This record gives sequence, C-alpha cells and structure tokens, in this order.
Amino acid sequence: MRFNEKELMSLSRQPSEKKGDVVKKRLVKLVVNFLFYFRTDEEEPIGALLLEQCRVEKEDSLTFSIAFLDEAERKYLFECDSEEQCGEWIDCIVKASYEFMRKNLIFYRTEIHRLTGKDPLEQYGISDEARFQVSNGLQLMMRDTSSL
Amino acid sequence: MKLHEKILTHYLSCTSPVDKEGYLYKKKERTATYHRRWFVLKANLLFYQERPADRHLLGVIVLEGCSVRPSESEGQFAFSLVFEGLKTYRFSAGDRQILESWVKALLSASHCYLSLLLRDLRVQYEEAKQQQGPGDSHRSSSVSGLRAEVREGRSFSAGMVLNAPSGPSKVVTKKSPKLWHRRNAHVTPLNGPAPLYGEWPLVGFDPLEEFSKLHDYYGQEVKRAREEWLRSRQAKEERSEEDLIDLG
Repeated sequence: MRFNEKELMSLSRQPSEKKGDVVKKRLVKLVVNFLFYFRTDEEEPIGALLLEQCRVEKEDSLTFSIAFLDEAERKYLFECDSEEQCGEWIDCIVKASYEFMRKNLIFYRTEIHRLTGKDPLEQYGISDEARFQVSNGLQLMMRDTSSL
Repeated sequence: MKLHEKILTHYLSCTSPVDKEGYLYKKKERTATYHRRWFVLKANLLFYQERPADRHLLGVIVLEGCSVRPSESEGQFAFSLVFEGLKTYRFSAGDRQILESWVKALLSASHCYLSLLLRDLRVQYEEAKQQQGPGDSHRSSSVSGLRAEVREGRSFSAGMVLNAPSGPSKVVTKKSPKLWHRRNAHVTPLNGPAPLYGEWPLVGFDPLEEFSKLHDYYGQEVKRAREEWLRSRQAKEERSEEDLIDLG
C-alpha cells in the first residue's frame, strides 16, 4: 500500500508529545496519533504505529504493552526506566488517540450546549461536519478528563 | 520506514465513524493524468482505493502538516493538499458541491486541529460549569433533541440545534497579532528537526490563554480559507474571461 512516506518522516521530526528509550533500546517518539521508533541516533524512524484501535495496558511496574485489535493481534512491549515514566507513557498514548479525542470533543460540545444553550462549534463554522456529530452507536460517556 | 499496514487497514474497516467518503479524481504526477479513486476520510487519514467495494487499498495520506489549496490552473473543481517543501497531491471533484464539501472536511481533519479545538472546548466547558452555580441566571432552556440544520438549501445529517442563547452572547475582540501564519516553503534539513508547522509561540506563555487565542485564529483561518474558496468560485463564474485568481 502506498503512503506519503516522506511526509510521515517529516512528521516524525516534529516536536513530540513524548520521547524516550524503551526496550531494544529504541528511541520512541509520540507525534499526534503515531508512535515512531528509531534506532537511537538515527534520523529516519524504523517504523510507525498508528495508535488507533489498540489497547494500552500496564504489564508490571516498568512495562506497558500496546495490543492492536487487528487480525494479527500483535502485542508490543515497552520497558521504561521508572514506574512514573511508565504511567506517563500509558497516559499519553491513550490521550493521543484521535478516537479518544473525538469522543471527548463530542462530550464537551454536548455539555457546553446543555449548559449555555450555544453550540461551541458554531463560531468555527464546523457544526455540521460529520466528524463532530453525536452519531448512532457513539455513546456519550463521562470520561475522566480532569487530568487532560 | 515500515508503516504497519494491518493496523491502518483494520482501523479503516472498524466501526468507528467514517468522516467522509466519495469519488475524487487524483492526479498521477508521472503521467499527468487523473484517475478516479474512492476516498475515505477517517480521523487524520485519507485512504483511497479504486472502488468502494475493493478490499485492496491503493494508499493512504496522513493529513498532518498540509494545507488545502485551490488549484484552478488544474481545472474547475480542482484542489490540492500541499505539504510544504514536500509533496503536493492534486485532486479534482465532480462538481462544486463535492469540491466544497471535501475541502471543508479536509480543513478540519488534522490531529493538531482537533487537539486545539479540544483544548478550547475544555476551557469553555470549565467556564460553563462554573457559571452554572446555584441560583445562577444563565440557565439554558432544555433541549430535548437534535434536529437537522438546513443551510443554503443543502441538508446535513444530525446537526446541532442552535437555540438563541439564553445568556448574553460573548463578543470578544482579539487584538493580539496573528499567531498562525501561513507556512512558507521550508527545506527540511536531514540532520536536524524539521521546522515547526506554523510559527507557534512556544516559550514562556500561558497555555490556556494562548491556545484560546491561537484557536480563535486557527478557527478564523479555517473560516477565511472557506470564504476564499467560495469567493474564488463566485468570482470565477462572474469573470470567466479574465485571468484566474491565484490564491495559491
């Protein structure tokens, strides 16, 4: 499958939400909803993982895993330097997911509308975009956004 | 670089909502010909294949760091995705409505955009919650459902209902300088970080205040970009004998 490789590599050089050394001594960079991994000191990443439709779990005090829900159901393990770092990574990865962000946005939109009578997306002219709708099957959940 | 394709193809086929799909003509640079492709926009990813029923994906475009531009030189309903200093993808739509609809969807597709929007809404939500204290007069009328919003004769599915605000509407004039600049052509150095998308003020600022301003301007940018589109379309129709307006 073709993809805009050069542009994706350029993206990997953008300021990242999170960076660090993990198992196999890879440099891992979280940029938007992609996790890039590099051999340390190299400019070009070895690979990129899209952080959608995945489950992030704490395996033990220093290790977390990302399991993708595709047919391969591959699980990637990451070992961190500290428990705190491990927790931070899990938090960041979960919050980086576009789907996670979308759900939160829809929640805020609905709540703001309920509280103020105004649709907050109206001022941006994007009220009717399919992306921001409360669609069927998308449950409006109270997510713990206090730490966002 | 290995892009783990199975993750992408799974995401495409899973039950999360598709943001937009339809036929567009995509230009093949090497042959300078346009090919009709079925596009599916999901999150910040633009997938394409030959036909909707195809299992085989031809490709995906990650929509980060690109701008949506009209490309009238290419044709009546043409537009491009421009990655500054990198590739430009060229497209052509079947008619004006399809063109505008895709441009609008693509303008608000990036993760960066969603992130800004979210930060802004979070602030608004906190403010709204605080104002909704006991005995507060800013009570909104109860909304029992959502109805479709009809604009310019085109109907959209499940739009938000827009009640007249029960409280005073906020009009805030932003006098701060424009913070989101149009990207200039950058050469991406190989041995250092790529230049930032836009010139974000990064050091020594109050995130909540600045992002609210940034987002206002980003929002205005999106609005302006769309208005430019509409104006350029109208102007083109009115002055078909004159030179094309170059908005690129």
